[in-house]
Amino acid sequence: MAILSRLIRSFGLFGFALLGFALALPVIDDGALAQDKPIRIGLLYDLSGPFAAAGSVASQIGAQIAIDLTNERGGVLGKYKVESVNADSQSKPDVAINEGERLINQEHVDVIVGVYSSAAAVPLASKVEEQKKILWITTAVATSVFKDRSLKYVFRAQIHSDQYGQAGIGFLTEHAKSDLGVEPKDLKIAIIYEDGPYGTGVAAADEQYAKQAGIQIVLKEAYSANAPDLSSLVTKLKRARPDVILHAGYNPDITLFLRQAREAGLRFKMLIGNGAGYSQLDKLTATFGTDIDNFCDIDPVPAQHLDAAKLAPGLGDLIKIMVERYKAKTGANDVPPHVSMGFNQTWILLQNVLPIAIEKYGGTDAEAIRKAALDVDIPVGGTIQGYGVKFFPPGTQLSGQNERSTPVVMQYVKGQIKVVWPTAIQNVPPVLPLPAQSPYAVN
Amino acid sequence: MDIYLFEAIINGILLGGVLALLALGLNLIFGVIDVVWICYAELVMCGMYMIFWLHSFFGWPILLASFAAILGVAGLGVLLHLLVISPILGSAPINQLLATGGMLFFLQSLATLLFGTDFRNIGVRLPLIELGDIFISYSRLLAFGTALIGAVALYLFLSRTYLGIAMRAIAQDREIMGLMGVDQRRVYLITSAVGGALAGLAACLLVLQYDVHPFIGLSFGPITFMICVLGGLGNMIGGFIAAFVMSQIIAVGGYYFSIEISYVLAFVFFIVLMFIRPQGLLAR
Repeated sequence: MAILSRLIRSFGLFGFALLGFALALPVIDDGALAQDKPIRIGLLYDLSGPFAAAGSVASQIGAQIAIDLTNERGGVLGKYKVESVNADSQSKPDVAINEGERLINQEHVDVIVGVYSSAAAVPLASKVEEQKKILWITTAVATSVFKDRSLKYVFRAQIHSDQYGQAGIGFLTEHAKSDLGVEPKDLKIAIIYEDGPYGTGVAAADEQYAKQAGIQIVLKEAYSANAPDLSSLVTKLKRARPDVILHAGYNPDITLFLRQAREAGLRFKMLIGNGAGYSQLDKLTATFGTDIDNFCDIDPVPAQHLDAAKLAPGLGDLIKIMVERYKAKTGANDVPPHVSMGFNQTWILLQNVLPIAIEKYGGTDAEAIRKAALDVDIPVGGTIQGYGVKFFPPGTQLSGQNERSTPVVMQYVKGQIKVVWPTAIQNVPPVLPLPAQSPYAVN
Repeated sequence: MDIYLFEAIINGILLGGVLALLALGLNLIFGVIDVVWICYAELVMCGMYMIFWLHSFFGWPILLASFAAILGVAGLGVLLHLLVISPILGSAPINQLLATGGMLFFLQSLATLLFGTDFRNIGVRLPLIELGDIFISYSRLLAFGTALIGAVALYLFLSRTYLGIAMRAIAQDREIMGLMGVDQRRVYLITSAVGGALAGLAACLLVLQYDVHPFIGLSFGPITFMICVLGGLGNMIGGFIAAFVMSQIIAVGGYYFSIEISYVLAFVFFIVLMFIRPQGLLAR
């Protein structure tokens, strides 16, 4: 590789052309896909606006690392280069739709990879479906993107929002008696959430699973992520006195809420975040220091926190490369789960789906990719985030969603993220309730 | 009385202080220059970034950084007037609105370009004020106090100083003042500087409570504009009262119903009032 890059550097574009020509020669007769025509993939993320720093840019960088790495290894199947076309949806659903149209109709991409916000994913899925192109969702989680919509061209290996409720309530039910000293039926929780599809989806799942477990919900309330003030919500929480707060929020709203909660003397035994802003530990730590120690967060696991020995061979090295490159690109200390989401889903597309599409279905058009995706069957432990991949087939309620995805419950331990649930793969046992030194702890 | 309702009312009053402070500068500009700075909240954002960089990056003491930001945003106000407003002073109001609206996107994009989309904060943690069962936010109290002092100072400036009287005279009749030998350009520049300084002052107080990011203006811009209209655009006392009316609807409505519904109530109140009194609560 070093020789190649030196060649490129010294000969510039000419070197590039020469290289392309040299590589193209032996495979010039390779059917539909000629070497000089790379596979074009649109990367659609919120690169500006409030979602950018709440994990969208991190996802985009993860996806780009997967593409770069694939190209460095020769491309898909070792010979088909991938070319990414970036688009910025500006944290606005209407811009996401326009940019999606542009990627399909002007940039002529067959696959759009990305989408951070569920508010954008819901309408975009219909648009892309209409045009019979592929939307490969890496990050947005709302179950409503797929539920009862019979989508055929939209796929998501990422978890879906119902699973946050499942994980959060499962974790609480398991630890209510042993750590909080109450039976689940006596446990009081509050559910607060931003009012977009992401927050609403997570909150609905929290409510559903809490009811099944007999846990009491003392408050359930939505707010806009742009709200300049959340103090009346904090006051109501003080009145309702929940043991545990389940929160689904982005970023400015989370910092505003936690700041106003501290100033208003709100106390609880545990706070469980649901990804998005809660998964940006570096940013939360910069704002709150050790105040947020021992808070929990549910999300697909950041791959670097999994025991690589339990994953398929080679994935451990892949995770190392991803982490190194993300840190080198951003100078970050903590690598949020969004990097793994972007990288993992893109890697699955490039390494597991496109090869089948090319070899078995004759190309990388939407129809071939769709069929190939439905053929994919990766067992548990087969991706960097631990879960396997098998998409629900057409005709099922969640067609296009991965049926093997799982989230984990993590806890912030002294500026580090530790996996605490499922118990079988935990790094450390959870600390419950919040210890007395926390400014939010019940005295 | 329900202690939590009491806390909600106090929170409403304190939020009102923050909003009143924001409305003050916007109203002054409209009152005197007759132009709406739609990008007002973005000037506040610039001020917040100034404080962030000066304090967190260059290590200036927070008070010095705040003072510099007030001067800096005052300078931005003057620049805005010279580069954008003054060439189109004579054009139709809609063009002026579009021009300052363009500035809004320009400033947002410039901030994104320069600073990225990261949320930043100066990491100052103020002490808690605890009165029995009621907690009061120190930063909010500070903002509330400053808004009161700012309003009084502005009132005194406009009613007691020569320059202030000149400003008010221009606000009443811009043509005749020119004929009487008053240098409107100078008055406009000074007004823009004062309006900018007020935005800078708001920045100093907001940066204690909110993270800075290029889109922070979205949280405050629309409601500030609404408050100014509700109070009667250009009417400073009206704006001041409107800020507290709105914040009480938001705080108490949020307490009894939900935050989402409280905003619905606030907007319904706004729309109904626009039908009854299109000129605002306290129109001139």
